[in-house]
Amino acid sequence: MVRAGKWQAVGIILIACICGWFVMELEVLGVRVLAPYFGSAVYVVMGSVIGVFLLSLSAGYMLGGWLSRRANSKRALGINLMAAGGWLCAMPFFTEPVCEGIFNAGLDEKWGSLLAAFVLFGVPTLLLGTVSPTAVRWLTRRASDSGLNAGLVLALSTVASFAGCVVTAFWLVLVSMRLTICVSGAILVALGGTILLVGVSREAQGDRR
Amino acid sequence: MKNRMGKAVLIMMFCAAGLWQVLSVGEAAAGGSGRLIHKKDSLYHRIFVYRDGSVVTLQFGRRPAVPMQSQVNLSNLRQHMLEYTMLSFCGLLYKPEPERMLVLGLGGGVIPREMRYYLAELEIDVAEIDPEIRTIATEFFGFREDDKLKVHIDDGRMFIKKQLGREPTVKYDIVILDAFNGDYIPFHLMTKEFLEEVKGLLAADGVVVANVFYNNRLFDAELKTFLTVFGRCQVFVGGDSTNAMLAAPGPTGPTLTVREAVGRAKILQRKHKLAFDLLTVAKRLRPKTRPAPRAKVLTDDRAPVNWLRAQERRR
Repeated sequence: MVRAGKWQAVGIILIACICGWFVMELEVLGVRVLAPYFGSAVYVVMGSVIGVFLLSLSAGYMLGGWLSRRANSKRALGINLMAAGGWLCAMPFFTEPVCEGIFNAGLDEKWGSLLAAFVLFGVPTLLLGTVSPTAVRWLTRRASDSGLNAGLVLALSTVASFAGCVVTAFWLVLVSMRLTICVSGAILVALGGTILLVGVSREAQGDRR
Repeated sequence: MKNRMGKAVLIMMFCAAGLWQVLSVGEAAAGGSGRLIHKKDSLYHRIFVYRDGSVVTLQFGRRPAVPMQSQVNLSNLRQHMLEYTMLSFCGLLYKPEPERMLVLGLGGGVIPREMRYYLAELEIDVAEIDPEIRTIATEFFGFREDDKLKVHIDDGRMFIKKQLGREPTVKYDIVILDAFNGDYIPFHLMTKEFLEEVKGLLAADGVVVANVFYNNRLFDAELKTFLTVFGRCQVFVGGDSTNAMLAAPGPTGPTLTVREAVGRAKILQRKHKLAFDLLTVAKRLRPKTRPAPRAKVLTDDRAPVNWLRAQERRR
């Protein structure tokens, strides 16, 4: 089923899982990030945060699918993860001005929280969404395997998302939210950097062969 | 064959009916205080209203961590059925003649209704997130709005932020924090940042009164947070309940001894002809209550409220 090297395949799936974890971690924390400014009404939680994550993910899937066809898709993925990580590292510093600004502009808990969720979480979620299509492309060497590989990536990264949800909501709330988001960002930057180093050098080797 | 199918259908119907019976009985029994007279799913809560004779009870969810949100005796509205509504009058000990009051959380509307009843000149703003609660308080709990008692449908924190943005900022003499969901107080209404916003609306000689539960570690964190923001915070501990009132006076407000509190209570008792005993409230002041040494301030960044709430308080 998996035609790429065994360890490479494990690595690819692991990347998809880590990103799946972070998407849901960010979504759970997102509700808490917005609550001080827009309350914890159903609009904020169900409407704004979940809605923005879904829309951003769908845009990310599209972008990821498009990028996966390019020769330098590994470099693109590395850059995407580093950018998402950088955004998360910086987020604690611009959360307050963004939310205060939107609140002071007179937007209410519905439209205000929707806009704030877009500004804060739209970009990193979109970037994390590019991972799955790229991972499927890397794993697939034969067209007939594509469905199986897609199923594998979706299933495992969604299990990781589940774990991210539960661990964040049950245990990570015990530590500083800013710290959690910053550390997650740093992990993504490191992951993206590793992909750039390893992946791009392999691509170069492949070119030589 | 057909016969057998008919039997199966019949059995299934019986099972469904039995299950329905069990569920509906369970529903009535969970309240433990009479007959379910109203049920409503609002945006925020599953609201149950029970009635037993003239006593009406408000409850969120079927097996909530907070057993009763509100309880009223319709044949004697002056009677405080739950201890915390009586304890909330401790604010008057610090600010005996308040002109403006803010209450977060309406529930059955007992606190604002009774304050309005005794203090005719007092203007009260209530912030309540759930419009259904206003309807239910009016319909079942003898609550009425008027020109001096207004309910604003808004999240408590957002209401305070909006009030802070108004020019000139209207200051409140007493702020009562009583916003609860079926679980406890929402986390964003307990943090240091929130209390700083409350402080911005408080008159210099005013007082913030917060209804909390004292039997868990969250209490220490809440007390610590109040002390951090206001510098001073006194505690009135419930006798019949696990409720406690945190009372944090503004910079020029008094710090009371039990004797002073009782003295002030006597004057208020006579002046307003209170139907309940404010002296017992004053005697519930515990001036030596301090947070556990390891308690941490709750912030918007870190407020593990559900976790702390589940831990029993060490003494």
